[in-house]
Amino acid sequence: MTPAVVCEDLWKSYHLHRPVGLKALVVGAAKTRETRFARQWALSGVNLRVSKGQAFGVLGHNGSGKTTLLSVLLGTVPADRGRIELQGRVASLLELGAGFHGDLTGEENIFLYASILGMSLRKIREQLPAIVEFSELDNAVESPLRVYSAGMMARLGFSIIAHCAADILLIDEVLAVGDARFQEKCRDYLRSFKQRNGTLIIVSHSMRELASLCDEGACLELGKIVDSGPVESVIAGYTGRAAAVGAARPPVQP
Amino acid sequence: MKIERSPLQLLEFLFLLARMELKARYKDRVLGYLWSVGTMFALAFVFWIAFKIIMRVEMENYSVYLITGLFPWAWLQVGTISAARSFVANAPLVREMGLAHAILPLSNVVAEMMHLIFVLPLVIAWVFFAGGYGPSVSWAWQIPLLLLLQVAFVYPIALICALANAYVRDVEHLLGIGFLVLFFATPMVYPISMVPEPLAHYFELSPLYALMQSWHSVFLEGALEPARVAYAAGFAACVGAVAWLCYRRFAPRIGEVV
Repeated sequence: MTPAVVCEDLWKSYHLHRPVGLKALVVGAAKTRETRFARQWALSGVNLRVSKGQAFGVLGHNGSGKTTLLSVLLGTVPADRGRIELQGRVASLLELGAGFHGDLTGEENIFLYASILGMSLRKIREQLPAIVEFSELDNAVESPLRVYSAGMMARLGFSIIAHCAADILLIDEVLAVGDARFQEKCRDYLRSFKQRNGTLIIVSHSMRELASLCDEGACLELGKIVDSGPVESVIAGYTGRAAAVGAARPPVQP
Repeated sequence: MKIERSPLQLLEFLFLLARMELKARYKDRVLGYLWSVGTMFALAFVFWIAFKIIMRVEMENYSVYLITGLFPWAWLQVGTISAARSFVANAPLVREMGLAHAILPLSNVVAEMMHLIFVLPLVIAWVFFAGGYGPSVSWAWQIPLLLLLQVAFVYPIALICALANAYVRDVEHLLGIGFLVLFFATPMVYPISMVPEPLAHYFELSPLYALMQSWHSVFLEGALEPARVAYAAGFAACVGAVAWLCYRRFAPRIGEVV
């Protein structure tokens, strides 16, 4: 099978490029300890290979490098080392409300976000009814986005990337805020997207969602892939390790 | 790989961004446009009282001189400062965009230009009622030329400031101070003839002065000095080259520092 996404030996460090104030420039920034959320390498030596028409699930604790991995694949965050190859058009839904502007209406935001994804104005106008229809937001698209709930924003975001004719979708844990029926609708869409030979990389903490959508998966821990293969075995391994970690940590005293 | 963009698609994207900036500026208020215009006229009125009535500036058509300088200056200042914030203020957008970041500060500069264009009828009306002369035919090419010149002039500066502000957040505050100094160091609310000699010489060297003086001479005399335009354009080209180098060096990491 032809690979749609390949990355080899990916290394990424945020450590050296932190935004600074004048004070930090003059006095020097304080040294930080290496922890789960603040370590030298956000990603270290990640290898990935996803075939066309496949769905790939990424698991891991908070701070294990999942979002960084997607950002590096998308190209918004450059890798320090490694090779990335993507075949086809990419669309992403990395964070809730990304690319959206609170003062604009839902409809205006559709134009803005679709344009970020590389759609022409003509194409957006063509697709607009379908996007609104899919989101089920009806006349709420005429309200400014600042009055939207998280779920409404997820609906808007997903509806746009579902209509932008991408070959590769990168989705980061944003569907969790949608209601059960809309989540099911999104899963249905993603299944049909796969059947049309689309490639999907999805980050989620919902094991059920990953199991029902994905063929293969990988588990990240401290920026390294510790487990990969068929998604069921990765999930089983992850839940097993998570339980062990939970047992090792003392319970919170009320 | 990645998102393919044609020049046309980029232009459409720029249009949507600029429209977004303008809408955010007027904030959906019916009077949003009037508020921002009113502020400028109030500022002009204050300077008119201070310089014309109290300090007795000897100058014909002083109120026209004020109005036709303040509005282009406002574009320069507001455009640069809002562009400097553009990466940080639109951080989620920057993280999702991947490329073509340079278009964000450009959209601020273009939005402020659109604002000036919307204000032009009022400025021309002011020239007519306060100055006593109507719009001249030559404005039809002089004003568009100056609009283009100012975009070329402001955009590289705005891009450098936006990049710098993404890495060091203090830049937007420094800009406020810088513009305050430049505002009074660029003869614009007083004629350069009032400035004593050694200082006047330095003031005249400022490319900003060349730009503002071009606006003044168009509205006051209907004339455009090629030398000044060339000087401002040359400066814009130099800063443009620097901005391009900065962009190539610093833009790739912009997604992770904002």
